[in-house]
Amino acid sequence: MDNDHAFAELIQEYIAESLPLAEAVSDAFLALERRWQEGDAAAGEVVELKGTLHTLKGNSAMMGLRPMQVVAHALEDLAARVAADERARTEAESALLVEGAGLLIDLIGAAADAQSGSGEAEEFVARVRRRLEADAAPAVPLRLERRRAERRPDGAPDAGTVRVDFRRLDTLLEIFGEAMIEQSALTEVYRRLAARIGSSAEVTDLDRVVVSLRATMKRLESALMQTRLLPISTVFNRFPRAVRDLARDEQKQVRLVIEGGDTLLDKTILDRLGEPLVHLVSNAVVHGVESEAERLRAGKPAEAVLSLRATALADRVVISVSDDGRGLETERILAKARALGLEPASPTPADVHGLIFVPGFSTAEQVSHVAGRGVGLDAAAAAIHDLGGGIEVASEAGRGTRFTLSVPLTLAIVRSLIVEVDRERYAVPLSHVAETVRVEPGALHEINRQGVVMWRGSAIHVADGGRLLGTGTTRTAPRNYFVVLFAGPRHRGLLVDRLVGHQDVVVKGLDPTLGRPDVVSGATILGDGRVACILDAAGIVAQREAA
Amino acid sequence: MGRSAKTPATPAPALRGVLEFADQLAADAAAAQVPLPPAQLHLITFRLDGEEFGLPVETVREVIRVGDITRVPQSPAHIRGVINLRGRILPVVEIRTRLGLAPLVPRSTARIIVAEVRGRVLGLLVDSVAQVQKVPADRVVAAPDEVKSAHTDYITGVVQLYERLLILLDLARALDASGATHP
Repeated sequence: MDNDHAFAELIQEYIAESLPLAEAVSDAFLALERRWQEGDAAAGEVVELKGTLHTLKGNSAMMGLRPMQVVAHALEDLAARVAADERARTEAESALLVEGAGLLIDLIGAAADAQSGSGEAEEFVARVRRRLEADAAPAVPLRLERRRAERRPDGAPDAGTVRVDFRRLDTLLEIFGEAMIEQSALTEVYRRLAARIGSSAEVTDLDRVVVSLRATMKRLESALMQTRLLPISTVFNRFPRAVRDLARDEQKQVRLVIEGGDTLLDKTILDRLGEPLVHLVSNAVVHGVESEAERLRAGKPAEAVLSLRATALADRVVISVSDDGRGLETERILAKARALGLEPASPTPADVHGLIFVPGFSTAEQVSHVAGRGVGLDAAAAAIHDLGGGIEVASEAGRGTRFTLSVPLTLAIVRSLIVEVDRERYAVPLSHVAETVRVEPGALHEINRQGVVMWRGSAIHVADGGRLLGTGTTRTAPRNYFVVLFAGPRHRGLLVDRLVGHQDVVVKGLDPTLGRPDVVSGATILGDGRVACILDAAGIVAQREAA
Repeated sequence: MGRSAKTPATPAPALRGVLEFADQLAADAAAAQVPLPPAQLHLITFRLDGEEFGLPVETVREVIRVGDITRVPQSPAHIRGVINLRGRILPVVEIRTRLGLAPLVPRSTARIIVAEVRGRVLGLLVDSVAQVQKVPADRVVAAPDEVKSAHTDYITGVVQLYERLLILLDLARALDASGATHP
């Protein structure tokens, strides 16, 4: 049992260490392949990669992971041949190198699942062997073409870097959360004390300490958050290979340009960013980019450019996925929307294009294949909205399409509005709060037994907090406020008794014993030490019936 | 959620069952073959609606007073809520509802037993905690089949101690067995 546990931990370490190495290898082979296709037969990378492949082989051997070991070994041999012999720099070799690196990534990623993939590995190794024997050319002295190697952010760590299990950072954050609670308790006691004994030298001193403690805690928070940030390249890295494979399947030429890979994001966000990005990128390759013939007819270069770009703003990161393909087909989207009973707010392209994010739009029919943009866009949009982010699309017919995503830096500490409903307190992430409004007499209407209120010129549904959250109290007094929640374009009001204030809360997950409530996404500890549930604003907004 | 606050006057069927079979159990005790290796069981005993229950000491981390329990919307019926235990958020299980009893109206004697069940730490809300009790393992007998039906397959056995009857709980099973119903 303990051994199993220790082994599982070792495997995790192995994956954490080896995966970036394998990705670096894969990137380098892809670059190599591209250059060879362009007629430049240099093979400088291969020399640079010798050490990396050797490390991968060694790591895998140490863990007894034979498939990875033999694949790394075969790649080592093939790379050595390629480095030594210019005649061995053909498409066959580069394809094998790229395939092997991809296989290595897959195998390492799945290392936790017992001994899978050995068949695939053996088969690959056999093919490499055949290739090596086939053109057993006379050995040519190694010609070192020392090209300046690109510095990779994910390459070998600097001497000043340590590798830390992410769970330890979670523990740190938890302890920080406790300190934050103690700090607010201390502040509270200080206030009461000061009120009772009035001004004195000690109270003044204490006041100074309390104020500076708060500032220090704020700094500690941001320093702690810094340690949790990872470059977005950990997500982007999967795309060079994915795009290459997909483009090959589609018989298209696509060049992927990645910028801002060193932009930092919290792991809580990164973990949930991959899937929507995969949707957007593969849709761009499959649906956005035209066939080669079509591009040439349109006077465009045969090779399409797909770019993936990340930019950091103060508390958000903006990611764009853009292509120079055919663009969204406004007329078809409109036709399909009408068939589904949807009508854009206005017939401008911007409003029509926005319809592709409407739940059910892109999944409804196969037609989406031609109509616009393929399957799963609504799912991608929903995933981004769940994160408290936004997604937009801009497109010009014949020129291309750009999706722009904006996501918060972290989900670990969330600025929240604390509200009270029937004496229960809840935290509402501010990323989902559009406004809080005092309920004026007569403002609340009931249509078809659903609460409706006019807000910023449109009628929105309001749900009673007590009913939604099942406080179980029967009450007659009207609620004082409604909080306008939003996720993407949808809004919904939530009636509450009191607005308590704003607070940065450390988000903690719900224990599985608590089931999977739709309306609650986590819990946190408030300043007074009590636990408050964090409302799943996106979930609440998405609910059809709030009764 | 609508939990009723009143306590039933009579024990739940399951418990009545235990009582009725108590005599018979004592007689059968010698004959029953219950495989329990340790010679002495260390149990923490607690009360629920007049009956006394026991949990192995090894599973219990600590016993705390009942403070603020935060209700979690849409959680299963046997979950009372969550508490803050030194910065850690723990679910509190209303073990009474698992035994077919009404939810506890906490009094000053009420306690939360913080226990570790299959690697997860959670709190059990009980009427009161009695003591730590050593029980010779061979005094444990299987609960009668009639009692073990439906609700109570998580009763591992019962122990006759002088005039008292101690019911041994299998917590892991009590929490798994999904009476996990949404209200």
